[in-house]
Amino acid sequence: MNTYFHDYLVVFVLVLLGAGIVAGGLGGNRLLRPHRPTREKLTTYECGVDPVGEGWAQSYVRYYVFAYLYVVFAVDAVFLFPWATVFALKGYGPTTLGEMFVFLGFLAAGLAYAAKKKVLSWV
Amino acid sequence: MIQGIDYAAVAPVLLVAVAAVLVLMLDAFGTPRAVLGWVSSGALALGLASVIALASGDRRATFCLPSGLRGSGPPSCSYVADHFTLLFQGLVLAAAVVVVLLSVGEITRSALPAGEYHFLLLSATAGAITLVAARDLITLVVALETLSLPVFALVALRRYDGVASEASLKLFLVSVISTAVMLFGISLVYGATGAMHLDRIALAHVPAGLQPVASVGVVLVIAGFAFKVAVVPFHFWAPDVYQGSPLPVAAFLSVISKAAGFAGLAITLALGFPAYGHVWGPLVGVLAALTMTLGNLVALRQRHPVRLLAWSSVAQSGYMLAPLAVGSHHLPQAVAATVAYVALYAVMNLGAFAVVTAFGRRLRRGTASYPSLDELADYRGLARRSPLMAAALAFFLICLAGLPPGIMGLFAKIVVFRAAIGGGVTWLAVVMALNTVIGLYYYLAWAVRLFAAPEAEPYDLRTGPAVGLAIGVAAAGAVVLSVAPQIVLQTVSIVT
Repeated sequence: MNTYFHDYLVVFVLVLLGAGIVAGGLGGNRLLRPHRPTREKLTTYECGVDPVGEGWAQSYVRYYVFAYLYVVFAVDAVFLFPWATVFALKGYGPTTLGEMFVFLGFLAAGLAYAAKKKVLSWV
Repeated sequence: MIQGIDYAAVAPVLLVAVAAVLVLMLDAFGTPRAVLGWVSSGALALGLASVIALASGDRRATFCLPSGLRGSGPPSCSYVADHFTLLFQGLVLAAAVVVVLLSVGEITRSALPAGEYHFLLLSATAGAITLVAARDLITLVVALETLSLPVFALVALRRYDGVASEASLKLFLVSVISTAVMLFGISLVYGATGAMHLDRIALAHVPAGLQPVASVGVVLVIAGFAFKVAVVPFHFWAPDVYQGSPLPVAAFLSVISKAAGFAGLAITLALGFPAYGHVWGPLVGVLAALTMTLGNLVALRQRHPVRLLAWSSVAQSGYMLAPLAVGSHHLPQAVAATVAYVALYAVMNLGAFAVVTAFGRRLRRGTASYPSLDELADYRGLARRSPLMAAALAFFLICLAGLPPGIMGLFAKIVVFRAAIGGGVTWLAVVMALNTVIGLYYYLAWAVRLFAAPEAEPYDLRTGPAVGLAIGVAAAGAVVLSVAPQIVLQTVSIVT
């Protein structure tokens, strides 16, 4: 148990060292550099273009729905890949094939529901 | 390698789950609301029929470890349909039918989306009946989540109501935290024992250095369940959530969710952790004492019927938890007592919720407006306006209090007392006796109001056939079980 926590001590020291290097670099820079702020220098840097409007912006909740639908397909694929590697092997067969289509059927039901509720149409 | 599945054993779950998807599809393709209600209750009734058919057969187990991987260990099945499972599945499905009956009017009145409502209700029910059959920790957690996730949405379905959104968010946060705590506990238990199946955890040899780790894991798993069944100090969400959700959903939470949660707790403790009885026994005892005392004391001061029922259901959780305080000593009897109490409580509490739902739908005389939030004082004189409904509510309250003629409540309490004293936790039995006396006051005070002289403005009680049927079913169940409580007490059997 003692050596176990000993290992963490090394990690802790490493974290302290890392923080020290970053803080030392930035602190040293701050001490050495000249400090003459102007209005232009203090504006937000946006690739050389003057910033427009505020930091708060609204985004369409519609994107969120599409992100959800993407998750449906991602989960779909995650289960399909391992299945695809084994279903043709010996000992598997029509049952394995059928089971995957049951799973796909459930996903398709979700998609059909979304389509029917007009989630998929872009307005 | 293909595993054979015993489709007969999983039939109740399959029926309900397929019906859930079917209802969603039917609604999307424009089926009228009334049909959805029929499909939903029909599927639940079909599930109930399959449970009854299974009950006459032998114990069935499926999703077992294949013999090649089993080694010399036990069979380790993930899904077991024994009498314990079937009793709870029957209870949950019957209660779900009553909840659907209560929901029919609520969906119209609160402008809830009907297809989604029935879909979520059936999904949660499928989770509940999987939970009571689960015999390994992963299946338990997944079933518990299948039970919880749809309920967040059900609570929030009144989208125009801020109180409902608050209740949903509260339930969501509490539930997520409890799941996280429980998963952490499970990871510790798995780390110490190297097993996920409860029968393997019970047999696992844990080295002395890892004993504390396993104990912490056990405590965290109990804490996770304690959140779900609203045990003090994890109870604070219950009153707000019950008040903010549509009443049938509150009934679902306080009956089906709670019954399934207690079944899960009993399965985990009795099958997985009997070796740690010295750890969880005293802990459960203290939690039970705190829960019943705080629940009853706060219930004394409630003015709204739903909040009163919420606090009373917290207090009742304490009684249900009490027998498990015996630890590994006389554990089978303790589990049987908890199961009996949960089963009897489900009937009477569901009845009380049914009457409160019906009463909330009364119309002011001559208008079409519903009254605002009910207070207990509004129940004055209900016996003059609707003698049947008042008699039913009075009977449910007397059952909850545990007084004759509500014999079922009395027997439930006696069973719990006997288990606690038989297991040697006499102090808890004393605390329970004191609490029963406190409970008498608020249940009886409400029952007495029903028969007082009416003072509020007159109203029309037109409940509709569905709610009337729901009250009738619950009342019939309560009367039958009061005349013959042995129906439940004898069927209650040991979890395997």
